Amino acid sequence: MTYRVRLEMFEGPLDLLLYLIQVNEIDIYDIPIAKITEEYLACLATMQELDLEVAGEFLVIAATLIQIKSRMLIPAEELEGEDLPQEDPRRELVERLLEYRRFKEAALTLDELESRQQLFYARLGELLPPVAEGPLQVSLSELLRAFAAIVQRAPQATALEIAPEAITVSERMVMVIDRLALESPLPFTTLFDVAGTRLMLIATFLALLELLRRGLVRARQSEPEGEIMVYRAIEGSGGDDGHPA
Amino acid sequence: MDTLPDVEPLAILEALLFVSEVPVTMERIEEVLEGRSRAEIVGLIAGFQERCRQGGRGLLLVEVAGGYRLVTKPEVAPWVQRFRGTKPAKLSKAALETLAIIAYKQPITKPEIEAIRGVTIDGVLKTLVERDLIRILGRKPEVGRPILYGTSRDFLEYFGFKDLSELPTLKEIESLAPAAAGKETSDEAVGDAGQPG
Repeated sequence: MTYRVRLEMFEGPLDLLLYLIQVNEIDIYDIPIAKITEEYLACLATMQELDLEVAGEFLVIAATLIQIKSRMLIPAEELEGEDLPQEDPRRELVERLLEYRRFKEAALTLDELESRQQLFYARLGELLPPVAEGPLQVSLSELLRAFAAIVQRAPQATALEIAPEAITVSERMVMVIDRLALESPLPFTTLFDVAGTRLMLIATFLALLELLRRGLVRARQSEPEGEIMVYRAIEGSGGDDGHPA
Repeated sequence: MDTLPDVEPLAILEALLFVSEVPVTMERIEEVLEGRSRAEIVGLIAGFQERCRQGGRGLLLVEVAGGYRLVTKPEVAPWVQRFRGTKPAKLSKAALETLAIIAYKQPITKPEIEAIRGVTIDGVLKTLVERDLIRILGRKPEVGRPILYGTSRDFLEYFGFKDLSELPTLKEIESLAPAAAGKETSDEAVGDAGQPG
């Protein structure tokens, strides 16, 4: 191999594989697996400093190549007996490569459209987007105070023996995210509308705190004692997406 | 409605397009221009476009993302860029590949995209969501209820498409996206917050 490749040049293992196929002028429908595996592994060997996550992705395909290579080595007779039609061990990989290549080409088209489109300037939005920016904009004590008010309004637990409900904070996190996906921002109190028991309220509150910590939702209070609004931190202004109904 | 002064409808149309920050839909124009037929409005738009095409003008009226909007002509781009002081940021290759997969195969989950690209895409997906180019369409009713992604209206604007049917047809790609226009989301798909326009 005379050319030098650096893995950073590639958008992943499939991109590298397509490159090797192209520079070697190989027919994608008839890949010489032994040769391409050797080259692929040689490329991996040039990785001096390993980024483990990236390396992992490349190694998965390396393993696939080696597996195909070994399956190709098994003589055809040994596989007969079962009446199954002989399937080319390379087929699945080839299909993956072809599919990836289609989208790689589609991405190139989008790239051209992007460049062309960037010559057209439109008016910039002046209004504040409905998605809150910046970190938490309400103090923790305000949040706690608001929560205390909700708990006080909740009915007292009656002295019944009830099998403990399986309420998990992560479930409540999903609920909060789902509600905000439908409508954002929502008043803090609205998030507790559905929750009945105190346990449920507490789980919901913990879920909200966790979401705030992870930056998935944001809370703001425009004035002291004012209503706390909860925003989803991702996803845009919603609205019509231009899809035909 | 109060009696309004008699103003040339073309002037009104120009004003509406000028103040809007998003593409103005035909429905909105009809609403505001009250009593004008769609054919009349289509005529107005064509007239406006013709005027823009004449020399000495810096604006164009384009149809994009389900509406109409004023944009600057490509030939004045260098000056607009100098005026704004920033060069528009281009999407990375990784972002474009991910976006292409989402555009043609929506609704689609993160693991499905990763299977096609052969790499993890957490960072890229976050960027695309933050830039409003993709949006959450709902959740797939299967283990883990993974989030389903699709393209947004901003995606159409960004690439200059009127709607998704304008996505360029690529070799064999139609067979991958039988319903590019009719988005088949799960029953649990969430609607859109907010109103258009």
